[in-house]
Amino acid sequence: MTSTFTSPPGGAPASAVPAVVAEGVSKVYGSGDAAVHALRGVGVAFARGAFTAIMGPSGSGKSTLMHCLAGLDTVSGGRIVLGDAEITAMGDRQLTMLRRDRVGFVFQAFNLLPTLTAEQNILLPLDLAGRKVDRSWFDQVVDVVGLRDRLKHRPNELSGGQQQRVACARALVARPDVIFADEPTGNLDSRSGAEVLGFLRASVREMGRTIVMVTHDPVAASYADRVVFLRDGSITSEIVGPTPDAVLDRLKSLGA
Amino acid sequence: MLGTTLAGLRAHKLRLLLTGLAITLGVGFIAGTFVLTDSMDKGVAKTFARSADKVDVAVLPRGNDSDTVIPEGVLKRVAALPGVTEVQGRVQGDAALVGKDGKAVGDLPTVGMSVPSGRLLRYDVDKGRTPKGASEAVLDTHTAEREGYGVGDAVTVLDRANRPHRFTVVGLVDFGIDPDAAFRGAVGFDPATAMAMTGEKGYKELDIAGGSEGAVAAAAGASYRTYTGDELAAKLAAAAGADTTVIRTGLLIFGMVAVLVSALVIYNTFSILIAQRMREMALLRCVGATRRQVFGGVVLESAVVGLVGSLLGLAAGLGLGAGALGLVGGLSPQVRVEGIALTGRTVAVGLAVGVAVTVLSALLPARAATRVAPVAALRSDLEPGSGRFRLGRLRAVLAVLLGGGGLALGVLGSVVMAKGQAAMYIVAAAGAVFFVAVIAVMPALIRPLGRVAGAVPVLLGGVPARLAVANAQRAPRRTATTTIALTVGVGLMSLFSVVGASGKETSAARLDAQFPFQFQVQPQFGRKDARLPHALATALRERPQIAAVIELREKEAPVGGDDRMVRTVTASALGGAVKPKFVRGSQAAFTSGTAMVDEEMAQDSRLGYGQTVRMETAHGTVPVRIAAVYASGTQLGGFLVPEADFDRYFAVRDPSAIFVKARDGVPASTARSLVDDAARPYPAAKVTSSAEYEESLSKAIDMMLMIFGGLLGLAIVIALFGIANTLTLSVVERTRESALLRALGLTRRQLRRMLSVEALVMAVIGAATGVALGVVFGWAATNAMARDSVFALPYLQVAGFVVLAGAAGTVAAVMPARRAARASIVESLAHD
Repeated sequence: MTSTFTSPPGGAPASAVPAVVAEGVSKVYGSGDAAVHALRGVGVAFARGAFTAIMGPSGSGKSTLMHCLAGLDTVSGGRIVLGDAEITAMGDRQLTMLRRDRVGFVFQAFNLLPTLTAEQNILLPLDLAGRKVDRSWFDQVVDVVGLRDRLKHRPNELSGGQQQRVACARALVARPDVIFADEPTGNLDSRSGAEVLGFLRASVREMGRTIVMVTHDPVAASYADRVVFLRDGSITSEIVGPTPDAVLDRLKSLGA
Repeated sequence: MLGTTLAGLRAHKLRLLLTGLAITLGVGFIAGTFVLTDSMDKGVAKTFARSADKVDVAVLPRGNDSDTVIPEGVLKRVAALPGVTEVQGRVQGDAALVGKDGKAVGDLPTVGMSVPSGRLLRYDVDKGRTPKGASEAVLDTHTAEREGYGVGDAVTVLDRANRPHRFTVVGLVDFGIDPDAAFRGAVGFDPATAMAMTGEKGYKELDIAGGSEGAVAAAAGASYRTYTGDELAAKLAAAAGADTTVIRTGLLIFGMVAVLVSALVIYNTFSILIAQRMREMALLRCVGATRRQVFGGVVLESAVVGLVGSLLGLAAGLGLGAGALGLVGGLSPQVRVEGIALTGRTVAVGLAVGVAVTVLSALLPARAATRVAPVAALRSDLEPGSGRFRLGRLRAVLAVLLGGGGLALGVLGSVVMAKGQAAMYIVAAAGAVFFVAVIAVMPALIRPLGRVAGAVPVLLGGVPARLAVANAQRAPRRTATTTIALTVGVGLMSLFSVVGASGKETSAARLDAQFPFQFQVQPQFGRKDARLPHALATALRERPQIAAVIELREKEAPVGGDDRMVRTVTASALGGAVKPKFVRGSQAAFTSGTAMVDEEMAQDSRLGYGQTVRMETAHGTVPVRIAAVYASGTQLGGFLVPEADFDRYFAVRDPSAIFVKARDGVPASTARSLVDDAARPYPAAKVTSSAEYEESLSKAIDMMLMIFGGLLGLAIVIALFGIANTLTLSVVERTRESALLRALGLTRRQLRRMLSVEALVMAVIGAATGVALGVVFGWAATNAMARDSVFALPYLQVAGFVVLAGAAGTVAAVMPARRAARASIVESLAHD
């Protein structure tokens, strides 16, 4: 399936210039005695054209980190730079534009608008940005995710795996600088999950996309080029070229 | 279960308040109506009590005929009784005050009243003193202010025969307690002068100081009733109370409309709330609540909401009533405000209506709540209320029956039946029946209507607008009920404006075709036997610039047993300047010994076409054959006989109206001053141009429309609250969806715009449906009104309703939209 990507359109090859950088990022919820430190001075860089997984036990702050990296949430301290833009200095409107033009999302659940067809859902970010649809690119993406005959269906007429593939296509079709995926396989059976992860990896390898994925599944993490481990709001370690077993071992050592 | 319900209500105060708001407004209107009218009654009663205090015994004629008077003889007999120290007869009739422009003031003659001196004077003298003798008068204070007269001025007052008399104003009197005087203005004289000026033959009332009621009753005789001072006050107050009853009934009808709309809004709100709380309901069932308990919980919740809403409504009503009272007090000074009255009845009616309407509206949603399967608590269930709406068989049958029935009734009333009031009632019933059918099918219409209403926003507004239109269509039942609430108010409003515009158009068309005139000279006051001098017509005929002078003469005479107004017009004008539209027969048949009648009169079988009736004339009874029937609706009308016959039958030479047409080429201003000059010697002759006539007619209709609009405004406001309510709840429901959109790059502004467009689409669907219904049934009503009625569509007004409703809907979206835009993306996405 991945072989259908013929060329890496628009994607830059993996390089030393990171796509997203976090420097000393902290996030505190609440104040005083009730304050919860979700992130404590996280410093991490995500390489362009790479597939990185963020792992950690529940409450380690991995989802918070991803939300901050994607400009969905504000930070309490430190800075985040996405490409050439310091997103920690941006207002809501600039953040919205950034998300619309340069960031793609795949969530665990509730990824699609129930009122729109699959095709409309895929094209939603482009429509919101008022950008022209590159039809040949759209066709290519649709064929890769295998949704050609499902384009006119609404989400409630699609299976969970199909819905998630629609979400992947949506993230790919706008050619964002970074795609953030939050537990993309969390709600799927193992076969659908493997398919989705396959697309994600192929889009990095063959199209030069950059993907940051939060997961707690060692198998899912093993699809990535690199795994970053988080515990109690701090980066503890990382593995380059992970295997499920290596990831599992490392998780055990974190006490997950 | 009780505890659970109450805890739930406490936890969702805002939700409770939003739901209760609709009922608050409805109950507020009804309570306000009662507060206003009760306070007016109370003020009136107190004023009368004060005034009647001065009277020991009063004598009034029995029965309600206002023409019956007490003759001088009775006054003499009463005055001679032992113990009676003073008797004053109250004279009251017409005595028209002439203004500084030389014309009688107002549209009705001022009241001529006797103003006694001494203890039995029931009015307050504001300035100067009471009148004595044939050359002194007092003026009603308000009338004097309006006309610019003061104490010491000389005024002219017309007697019953419209002969002018000069008086010196010696005082200003507040006739406040007399409704007639307050309405028309008043001039006061001493009793003898009052009798002479008004031409009255006796007294309306005798006020007596001293003496006993029994002795007075015996002296007065059986045709009269005696009252003590207190009884008199009660009677007067009750008579004034009849006026407030009319106001109350009128306002309550509009209150009912408001409550109906409230019921729709509450039904919808509860339906949505129940749908959103399916899981909560299912959980209750899981832990062992019976269906009955779930049902009871919802009903109890509605009762609490109804009670809270009604209590707030009572408070609002108190404020509304006080505000309206201030307004009324400012406009008509005869209403004395003696404090605000909040009676037990107001409280009882307000609470009963509020709670009953809320609970009834919540019954269906409560039943839906009992159908939840306990297992639903464990499922992540589908979005409530969404999906394609299919007309159930029952609903379809109901809709077809009611819709068909409504249309059939409408056709019956507007096309088949004889024109008139009965046909209009049928059309009104048809409208009501058809509306129920529209309610039934509305959910099925939401999709197509949404596409149409959303076409323009989608074209202009891009993705957010497209999403908004899809959102408006996604829960058809919910949108249908939300919009139908607006349909009620806008529909009635459109109906009124179509009927009003058609009425204007019809009367203008009739005048143009059948009775074109430029000026109309009438006695200022439309009294039954008021006439203009024939000399005025003669004077007008002598002017070379004037082409036609048409005199309309009339005399009441028994025709076929009933008293009828027998009329005639200048013979030469008939067929020339005056062209009646004949329904049966023709003008050629209108010869000596015949009559023609208007359509309305012809419905009386004795006066139908071809009938011969007996008419009593000044010289005995003559047979008259009905030779023609003509269309009604112009200045002509009633039982018309040829002029030569009229001269023979009756000795009435003075016309009751004169119509004037100038020659072609004479400028309107010249013609006007000619007619004015000719009418100058006659203070009670009023000149109106046809343009003024049409304008005054149009103003009267516009005024009525404004009042209706104001009163229906509340129903429309409630419907708008309904839109805001539905949106707020939908926003809660779609929290995650909105967050997803925001994550994908929808700006806050676009999110707000999305909700505005959704509200706009709902408002436009509701208003457009209302306008369509209003126009169709307005057409039917116009058609049912009269044979020659002309349908007029007030395009601008009707389009204005839709535009205004759309704009108001957008405003209604402001709060929900702000709320949606404020929500944090991350929290909302995590929200389950």
